[in-house]
Parts: sequence; structure tokens; C-alpha cells
Amino acid sequence: MTQLPVITPYFADKQEVVDEILGRYPDYGRRSAVMPLLWEVQRGERHINEARIAEIADIVGMHATEVKGVMSFYSTYHEHPVGKYHLQVCATLSCSLAGADEMYDYLVDKLGIVNGETDKEGRFSIQKVECLGSCGTAPVLQVNDTYFECVTRSRCQHLLDQMRADSLPEPWRERGGDNVSAEKAQPLQTPASQTSGGES
Amino acid sequence: MVEGLGDALAMKVKVNEIELDLPAGTSAIDAVFQAGYDVPYFCSQEYMSPIGACRLCLAKVGAPRKDRGSGEWILDEETGEPKIFWFPKPMATCTTAVMEGMVIDTKCEETKRAQKSMMEFTLINHPLDCPVCDKGGACELQDRAYEYGDGVSRFAFDKRHQEKHHALSPLITLDRERCIHCKRCVRYFEEIPGDEVLDFIERGGHTYIGTLDDGLPSNFTGNITDICPVGALLDSTSRFRGRNWEYRHTRTTSTDDSSGSSIMVDSRTGRIERVKAARHTKINHDWLDDGTRFGHEYVDAPERLKTPLIKEDGQFREASWEEASSLIAERLQAASSVGVAVRADATLEEAVGAHALAKALNGAYDYYPKTAASVVPDAPQATFDDLATSDAILVISDLTEEVPIADLRVKDALKGVTPPEPMAHGIPIADLRLKEHMPKKTDILTVAGPYHVDLMIYAGRKLTYDLGHEVALLSALLNLAQGKDAEVAGLGADRDSLNPLVNQLKDSDNAVIAYGSWVLGSAEATSLVNDLAEAVDAKLLPLAPMANSRGLELIDTTGDNVLGSASALLLSNLNPAQDTQLKQRLEGLEFLVVHDCFMTETAELADVILPAKTGYEKEGTIVNLEGRMLPLTAVDVDGGGSEDLTGVVKALGDALGSRLDGRSVRSARRKLKADWEIDLAELPSEGVLPDESLSNHFQASTASSSPADVNVVIVPTMVRPEYLAYNPSLETAHGALSLRVHPDDANKYGLPVGERVKLDVSGVTRYLVVKEDNRVAPGLALVPALPEQPLGLAFADLQRAERAPLATPKPPAPVEPTLEVSA
Amino acid sequence: MSDAVADKPQAITSRHDPRYQVTLYEHVGVENAWTLDYYLSHDGYGAAKKALTTMQPDDVVGEVKKSGLRGRGGAGFPTGVKWSFMPKPDGRQRFILCNGDESEPGSFKDRYIFEDDPHQLIEGLIIAGYAIQATKGVVYIRGEYHKGYERLVAAVKEARDAGYLGKNLFNSGFEFDVIVHRGAGAYICGEETALMNSFEGLRGNPRMKPPFPAQAGVYGRPTTINNVTSITSSVHIIRHGANWFAGMGPEDSRGTKLYQVSGCVNKPGVYEMPMGATFGELIHDFAGGTSEPAKAFIPGGSSTPMVPFTDEYLSAPMSYDGIVEKGSMLGTGGIIVIPQEKCIVNFMWNCIRFYGHESCGKCTPCREGVATWMPKMFQKLVMGRGEPGDLELIETMSDNIKGTGFCVHADAAMWPIDASIKHFRDEYEYIIEHGVSKYPRTTWWKD
Repeated sequence: MTQLPVITPYFADKQEVVDEILGRYPDYGRRSAVMPLLWEVQRGERHINEARIAEIADIVGMHATEVKGVMSFYSTYHEHPVGKYHLQVCATLSCSLAGADEMYDYLVDKLGIVNGETDKEGRFSIQKVECLGSCGTAPVLQVNDTYFECVTRSRCQHLLDQMRADSLPEPWRERGGDNVSAEKAQPLQTPASQTSGGES
Repeated sequence: MVEGLGDALAMKVKVNEIELDLPAGTSAIDAVFQAGYDVPYFCSQEYMSPIGACRLCLAKVGAPRKDRGSGEWILDEETGEPKIFWFPKPMATCTTAVMEGMVIDTKCEETKRAQKSMMEFTLINHPLDCPVCDKGGACELQDRAYEYGDGVSRFAFDKRHQEKHHALSPLITLDRERCIHCKRCVRYFEEIPGDEVLDFIERGGHTYIGTLDDGLPSNFTGNITDICPVGALLDSTSRFRGRNWEYRHTRTTSTDDSSGSSIMVDSRTGRIERVKAARHTKINHDWLDDGTRFGHEYVDAPERLKTPLIKEDGQFREASWEEASSLIAERLQAASSVGVAVRADATLEEAVGAHALAKALNGAYDYYPKTAASVVPDAPQATFDDLATSDAILVISDLTEEVPIADLRVKDALKGVTPPEPMAHGIPIADLRLKEHMPKKTDILTVAGPYHVDLMIYAGRKLTYDLGHEVALLSALLNLAQGKDAEVAGLGADRDSLNPLVNQLKDSDNAVIAYGSWVLGSAEATSLVNDLAEAVDAKLLPLAPMANSRGLELIDTTGDNVLGSASALLLSNLNPAQDTQLKQRLEGLEFLVVHDCFMTETAELADVILPAKTGYEKEGTIVNLEGRMLPLTAVDVDGGGSEDLTGVVKALGDALGSRLDGRSVRSARRKLKADWEIDLAELPSEGVLPDESLSNHFQASTASSSPADVNVVIVPTMVRPEYLAYNPSLETAHGALSLRVHPDDANKYGLPVGERVKLDVSGVTRYLVVKEDNRVAPGLALVPALPEQPLGLAFADLQRAERAPLATPKPPAPVEPTLEVSA
Repeated sequence: MSDAVADKPQAITSRHDPRYQVTLYEHVGVENAWTLDYYLSHDGYGAAKKALTTMQPDDVVGEVKKSGLRGRGGAGFPTGVKWSFMPKPDGRQRFILCNGDESEPGSFKDRYIFEDDPHQLIEGLIIAGYAIQATKGVVYIRGEYHKGYERLVAAVKEARDAGYLGKNLFNSGFEFDVIVHRGAGAYICGEETALMNSFEGLRGNPRMKPPFPAQAGVYGRPTTINNVTSITSSVHIIRHGANWFAGMGPEDSRGTKLYQVSGCVNKPGVYEMPMGATFGELIHDFAGGTSEPAKAFIPGGSSTPMVPFTDEYLSAPMSYDGIVEKGSMLGTGGIIVIPQEKCIVNFMWNCIRFYGHESCGKCTPCREGVATWMPKMFQKLVMGRGEPGDLELIETMSDNIKGTGFCVHADAAMWPIDASIKHFRDEYEYIIEHGVSKYPRTTWWKD
């Protein structure tokens, strides 16, 4: 028989991680651990392959099929490896009104990949996603877990340059409305009329 | 159920103009059907949870309301009757429970429009390939689209394109384009066998059915092809074999195991093309195990014997029944002692014939395999429904393999919902007591076995006892039940966990103990299980080894160890020559007649071979493990000149010059009617469970007791091992007969994993594929049972396993007649 | 507005009212407000202590009922009444489940609570848990809110270490802990039964009701599900009293609420205002007015029907009933202002694409209508291939979809389409007739 390559289980040396995740849920809710375990693998490997699915199924006592059913229901778990910088462009209403479609076109143009693709070096991948809850600071570009908000063309260009140099900057602070800054936050009892928001 | 609205037991519901009284909890869709009206539906399915997904059964529904203050019905000012408040939108009748005074209108424009638009949505992505679809002519979608659809499509875009020939397993083909996402198959796996090996993948418009579990590892996969409302899930073995209207549909009873499951056999031009489940409300509901469903291909195997064969000069030649019968009659009359032995799936009618034949020849009659103890319990007998409604179950068996349908009925019990009562239109379409992902009451189930059996996954208590400790286990339980101390060594459990089991059985009003051949193989263990049942007031469900093991106990056997003592034998469907000792004996017989479908090792030794009918071709009666008498109806199969035993009896009787009882099914039934006062010709399709046990003529097996040296457990298997070589689809899906060992042992004995070995197992030559299985305890090997080598303990010298790379040597095909012979 | 009754002060219905206080967002935007130290120095966990040590669970339910708080997730069901649906304690584990799967386009209020003020949410959960006698709280936070998730998890740990979660809280004998569960990108999981399925490790399909969550919720156990801001509102109701909360907003909609403004306004963001304030006050006085001419606005998140940007609609009060009278809904209070130059057909294509992408696929009208056919129709129009009859087909399809789905997702996808056709039919007719949009502008991105 042909010898298949031995795949080291992802959690082989991470029993404490598994224990911590399982420990969050009651005994009868072991199955709840499936989503955090998927997150854990994706964080480590930028995708979740079938061997990992089977491993997770074993841990939570489900069939691999069910884990796949759950995983594929959600749009942020990836079957195939995404890039080191996974660019998620919100394309929904408010971001669209702020130019998200152009931002997407810009990224496609600059990176030579489209929605769902990863570039050859594995540095960039693009995914068009739905509303990220950043409507007040549109358009938003989510790089891996980090939101970059109010992305203008020049900011986008700057970001790409930085990522190409492997120095992803800290996200700039963009807030609107009541959530402005320490100085402007109004303590209780202050006439609210003075509490006006605004972008800095 | 709505509290405080009228009588909880009878709710007044009006469907169009029909008024009904229905029990609370009834679904609105069942109210509609009860009233004789119709709504389309795809997602609902009898025996499964209603989910309201397809939305086809939408209807305008209303109900009266009570005034919050006064508690009185709000009246319609004009009529003075309670005012009907219509729900603001059409309701899915499958997920709506009836309420007192509810009104359902299936005729109004609103209902019709809703149903028509749902049909339009259902059809937009469904391909128009009905002309090449196996389901065509028997398709729920086709029928409903004709009845409720618009006839023209407004959808002017490309339909969804997906994989059209996806092999989910060697037995099931999925056409993803045809799927209408009713979720019946996905729910089926979760709710009925509990093997969640199929699921929806992706979501929204991209949702499709898929699996990551290779080949759908479950013993119950074929049922999804029965319940798929479209041609998305098809039985691969019958794909493109025929159109539904060309098939002859014969409802009969399966002789595959002792459950007595009802099957619908579809045949065409003398071939069986497929077997589907037929509903039996007390046994298999709408389900079959894969062994029963797919294990029919042997019937049409080219190797099947179709004419009598007479051996001359060591060669078989074809002969007529008359010639063969005269020869047999002459030689058996001359023999010093005659034995007639049949396999335990022979019908009652055949047994009557065999008995009469043996008597006419002053010989003895017996059947095999024999258990060491009777399969009729002394304690009260449980039925499948008793099992499904029990709240304390002890199983000592690998149930999923031994009698797979019983496994499903145990899972019914775990839901804690009693089997649905049929309504006027049949089993309720939407039983609102059933839900998706119901918690399983695993604490009511204890499973015991000498290795990890599949059902243990669902058991709150698992007892993996040491090999051969059935007697020890049962006497420990009996002692505890009688308040005595008990020895628990080797039982896979300590006293602290056996006591709760005994108490659970005692405390329950409807405890059931199901036990298979591991217990039946020992007279002592069987006696103990009867005592235990009486001590804890439980009913017993003995799992008889073959389809009519129970029925054959009712017919007097006249021999004692027929195989070992007679000097001339007529063997029907038995193959004792696999046992090297018996083979030697058979070779020394004065005369040997073999009645079988195939050229077995035993048939090769025969002087005359008579071609036998399979269980599908027989007319007759069997008694299932509950004691239920069930009818077999002959399927239209081209069996050539084959006959069942009644045919053999007729032919030999004619040659002997006497009219024997059992020379035909009618003759046998006349005899049985005289003996039992039951007319088997009148049996309904679901059979009859006689009120009182018929007289029992059991004689214990004389087979030697367990060998001193034991390292093999003979285990049950869902497939019929004797026919597996002729059931290619089943063999592809489930693999050949295997020798299951722990990986360490495979290593230790140098067993070639994945390869076929020849191995002597307690004297019987077996051809087995070596499989590693972590669940098997080291030092133990599991070998599937043959009818000639029943469940129990055995010994094999694993070091002497020889590689046998070719498949089980298939017996040679019948000799083609040559010119010389026929001249 | 009716005249004030002499002995009962008139309810606050404007943020300009000097009596108005910002509470929910008091600490949002403040550096380090997410730490326990900061929270404690601002009377943190005071309300929980008050509830657990001086009130019976029923008193807490009563207080919230009296406050008139209605669910802030969109449907507006009275929170106190929902709490009172829980069966009597019977020994089974009970759950308070917080719906933080904020995914409705136009809504982003909860995100900043997770990020900047997680202790407020934990305190709210303790109070709600105490009220319904649940010892386990679950926060289901949408997967994309990574920063919020980390801050919340850190806050739970801090609270646990400091004894604000765990056994015998405030020596009251009450035990409570919080599980933080991260979603993974599925709008439908904001539907409460889908959220329960998702939490249990199942696919996020909505479940059948009955049984209702209070009878059989997560793991089949009694459960109450509330939106993040419904739960945080209870903190301030307990702290300041039901009368304080009921002193804001009109009869049907009491209290203070977070509104989110996005689209073509000068200062988009979250603004906390008393209920009953007008859209005009929010957009003009706080959000800085429009950045370019606007023609419509969506009043409460993408599923609520859009209305024209005219005084008639801008003068409507932001209350549950106030906007219903104008043919729309308050929803989550996520307001999207649509510029004059944006093509409505294109805008709605974006909208229906969203609902199609987020359909769970369980029921036929949603899977085949919302997720398949309707987006194809809009794509056809936007690509200039519209034909006479297409608009009528869209309208009848919408009628066929509404009211037939398993959950409200399908309806929610159709309401905005209906409203866009009602108010901007001319744009649909124009694009069908001419093959190009009446408003062809495609550049919106700032340099």
C-alpha cells in the first residue's frame, strides 16, 4: 500500500488550547466548541483543510460532514489558504456610497487578483465582504483582523506600499458621532446640546 | 398545544367546509388530509420532524380569539358565532398546530396564489431533464408541479449548474442540480439512524448536499433514495435500468434477517432491478438497512443454477426435474438413513414439506443454524413497538449488524416520542412532537458486547465484557436483581454501575432486554436472561438468527444432529462442506442431494443438485423475531427451472408415488390451518401477531460447546455472507467479509492489512480481508458469521493465515451442455 | 406635542433639552474606558450591586417593565415583558443570551460598546441574568468584530478575577458568568433562533417557534435573548430608576437610544438621543447636515423602507410608532442618507445582493427568490438589459416572497425594494427604457 504522508494534528501540542475552549461551554454543549476551534486553526494556518476538519470533528464528537456544514455556512472560514494580508472590502450600502466599489477595482488593478483569489507569493488575497459595521467610517478595508477605516485612495495606496514592505501600520483612529475622543466625551449632567460630534 | 382552549383531546377544526375533531397537537397539514383535501409539500416526511422549509403547504388559516378580560370568545357581530381572526399571512400548515375553532381554507385565491408562487420558485433552478430522470413518473415534484404549477416559467436566466453525477457512495448517486433543498435526506441521517454523514454545505442559493465522510459510513444509507421527492438521490444499482411505470411492484417480506421488514421489489423482464422499503407501521416504518435493500443482486447472478444437475463420472450434466427426482427417490429409498436439512430462512410451508418428505422416507428433518436455546422466550415477548416505547433498554448484541431495524427502533425510543398513530390518510405527515436535533435520552440505553459495537455511541451505559462472559454478566445482573452479591470481574463494569442498571430495569414499567446469538448460543445464558427478565419484570426481544428461525421452531423436527448422523442427505441452501470435518463426512455419504441457488462447496460434492428459488421468488409465510406471521409474495423473477422446497417435495412425492403435505404452498397451509387454526392464505400485508404463542417444538443444538481455546468472536453482519460474492454493489460499498483485528495484532501476526487471507476458524475454512480496527481489543479477532457458523466463540491460529489474493474462489459456473451430453 | 401636564414634567424628546443626559455612550471614545479600573471609577457595577443586594429578581423585571424599554435590536418588543416570559426556575440551567451579531447595513452602535465599554455590557448581563434567574450569560459577537471580541474577553477576565463574575456576587448568593462566543460572518445569525443554532455549533438556520426560547432555547434550556443596547440600557434603568428612563420619549417609545448615521452627511457616526427626537434634528443638528444633496434616507437599517429626504419625513419623530405612520420602521436606528446622484436601481442592486448573500437557504422563497432570482433581475436592469415587464415582474415577485418565508429575512429584503419602487419608480422606468441610469455617476471614492 502507498504510504500516505503523516499529518501532525494541529492540536497535537496544544491540548491546553483545546481544554480552554471546551471549558468555556457546559458539558452538554460540547458541540459549541466547533466555531472557536475552527477560528483557532484558521488563525494558525489561514485556512482550514479537510484533515483539520476531521480533527475538530473528533474533538467535539461530530462527523466531519457536520463540521464542514457548519464551517461552510459562514463566510469568514476559508477552505483554501488566504494571503498573508487578507484584504476584505466591504461592498455594502454605506461603503458603496463612499466608493468601496472603486476601492475594490483599485485593489484588483494594483494586485492583479480578484475576489476569492490569492496572489502567487501568498502575500495578498482579496475578498468582497458584506457590511462590517463600519458604516459611519466608510469605506472600510479589513486587513486580516484589523479595520482600516475612511480609506481614501491615497491611504489605500499607502497601505499597499506598507504591506508590500511587510510593515502593516497601526490603524488610524477614525471615529464619528458621540464616540469622538476623551476630551469630547460628555460626563453625565452636562447639557447634551454641547455634545456634538464630528470627525477630526 | 394551546392551553385553555376547549377540550385538549378533541379540537374542532374546519377545513374548507369539513368539520373535524382532532387531538391537540395535530398539525394543520394532517387536518387538511384528514378532511380529504390536499396541499402540496416536499419537506415534510412521515416519521421525521416537520421543518417548514419548502413552504409549499402554505394555506390561509384563521382562528377565533378569546377576550383577554372576560375569557369569552370574541363573537362575530353578524353571525353571533366566534369571530375568525385570519393570520396576516399564509401559514405553513406542516408547522402549525391545530387550535380550537381553527379554520383552514385551501381553496381560496390567497392559498392558491401562495402555493403557485412557491412552486414557481421551486422550479426555477430545477433542470428539465425529466425524460432521462429515473424518478420520472414517480416524482413528487413532477406530480405537484402538474397539479399546482403554472405550466410556464417566467425565469429567463440560466439555471443553477452543479454536479450531476456525484457518487456519494458506491450505492448512491447525487444529482445536485435536481435537489430542491427539502432537507429530507439530511434530517433523515440525523433523526433516524443518527449517523450525521450528510449535510448541507454552503448557504443561500449556493447550498448543496455533500459529505466529508467517505462512502457514507452508515448501515442505513439507501433510505434517502426512497424519500427524495425528486431525482436527486438515486439508487446507483438501479440507475438507468428502467422507468417507474415499467416496473412490476411486488410488496413482500424480506428474508434477509429476522426482522421481517416489508419491502417493495421492483422487477422488470424477469429481473429484480431494485428493492425499496414498504411501510410496515409496526416493524420497519419506511426504512431498510442497506443489506436488505442492496442485497438482491445475487438473484440475477449469471452463476445461478437454473436446471437440475446429475453427477456422472465426476461431472455434472443437466437433467430434467423428472429424471433427477426419479434418481433421488430411488437412491434415498435405498439409503440406510435419510436426513433432510433446511436453512432457517425456509418458509413455514417449506418446512411442512420437508417434514413430510423426511417422514415419507423414514428419515429425519431438521433446520440450521440452530441456537443452543429457543428463540421464543419464556418471559413475556417484546415487540418492536415495545422496544421503541421503552424507557429502560438493555441490548446484548451488535444490533446494528445483527438486526439493523431493531437498532433504528432503539433510536426511536431515545427520542422519547411514541410511534405515531395512523390517521385516516395514514401516518401523520407532520408529527409536531418530532424536532430537529432532539436531545437523545441516552441514559435509558445500556449496550453490552465483547467489543465496541456501533450502538454504544448512543448508550448511556456501555459494558464491554470479556469474551465469552455472557453467562457471568447475566448471572451477576440476576444476583443483583435478587438482592444478592455478585461477581463482576471481566464484565467491563463495576458493581456500582451494574446496580443502577438493575434498578433502572426494575423501576421501569416497560423495560426491554434485547439479546442476540451471543446469548442464544448458550442454553445457560438464555435461561439466565429469562430469569433476569422475570426478576426485573422486563420483556424479552430475542434476535433470532435467520428470517424464519422462530417459525421453524413451531414445526416438529424429527432428527437429532441430522448432519452428523444420516447416511444420505437432502440439504436445502446449506453449505456445511466449508467445515473440513463435515466435508469429509459428506464425501463418505451414500447419497447427497443439494438444493441451492449456487454451486457451493457442498453442491460440488452432491450427486444431484436441484436449483433453488431465492426468498424473493417464494410464496409463503415466515415468523419474525417478534412472533409475527408475515406473508411472502413471489416476485416475477426468471429463475429458470428453480423451485422452492415445496416444489422439491412435489417432484419427489410424485416420484415416490405419494401426495405429501407441503407439496404446494396451498397444501402446506391446509395442514397448518388444521394444526393451528390460522389461515395463512388470509394474512394481511402487515402480517398477524398471534395472541398466544403457538406450540413450540424446539430442540437444542447438539453443536459442541465453545472450544477451550478462544480468540475469535463470530459477529453478526448486516449483509448475507453466503451471497456477498454475488452482490457486487454491496460488496463494493461494504467491503468483502473481513477479519477485524487490532492494529497491534495485525503487526504481531504479520497479517497483511487490506489483503485477503485463507484462515481456518474452528475447522471452517474462511476467506477474509484483514482490516485494522482500533475498537477491537488486542488479542481478539472478529469474523462475520455464516449460517453454518453462527455467532459465538471460535479459535483461529492467526499465524497460519495464508494469503489468498484472489477473491473467494467462486464456484465454477454450471457446466455448459455439450453436444455429447445432450445427444 | 401635547401640553405638559402640570404635575408631570413633559417627556424629553430632544437632545437639545437641557435635562437630557448621555448614558449609554458616556464612556465610548474615552481612552482606557474598557478597563475595569476606569469603569469602577465611574460607578461601575454600582447598578448591578444595587439590583443584587437591594432588589428581588421580580423587582428588576418590574422596574424594566415600568421603564418602557423596548428591544433595541429592531423589532421593539418590550424587554421587561420578554423577561417575564421565562418559566419558573425548575433546576434547569437558564441562559441570558446577548445578541451582538450586529450585521444590518447601517448599524454600528454595538461595535463601540464592545470596543470601548465592555464592562457596561457585562454589568447589564449580570442585571438581566439576575432578573430572569439565569446564571450563565452568553455574548454572541459577530466574527468580524475582532477588536471588540478581544476587549470583551479581556474585560470578562478582569471582571472574573475581581469577583464581579463568579459565585456569590456582592455577597448576594447570586452566581453568574459570561461565555463570549464569536460568530463567523452570517447576517442571519442575528435572527434569534438562528443565533441559538449557531451558538450550539449547528448551521445558522432559523429554528421553528414554538417552542419559544423562554421554554426551550439554547441547548433546549430556558433562554432570553436581548440586543446589546437593550441589556446596557437596563444598567442605567437600575441606576437612575425607571421613571428617569420613562421620562424620555413619547408614550410608545421610552428612553434613550443610539442612532447611527451614515451616507452623505458631514459627521457620520453614532449619536445617543432621546426617543422621539426627529430625524431632522439628528441629521442637521448633530450629523452636520448633508455633504451633498440627498434624495432619500433609510430610517432604521437596510431592511427598513427608504423614505424621501423631505421635511415631511425629516420631521417625523424617531419612535417606534412615529415612523410607522410614515410607512417605514425604526429598526435598529441605522440611518443611511442617499445622495441625489446615486442611482436607486444600482443602490437596490447592492442591497438585494446583500440579502441574497446572507440568505441561509433553508426556505424556498428566500433561497430561490431573494438569493437567486431577484438579484438576477436587478443585475439585468443595472447592466442595461431591462425589458418592459421587468419592473412588474419584480413587483409581483416581491409580493410572492413577502409573508411566505420561514423567517423575516425574505420580507426584510423586499420592503426596501418596494419602497424604492414606490418613491423612485421613474428611475426604474428610465433605466429600462434607456438602458442607462438616470444618475450615471460612478465615482464616489475620495482621494
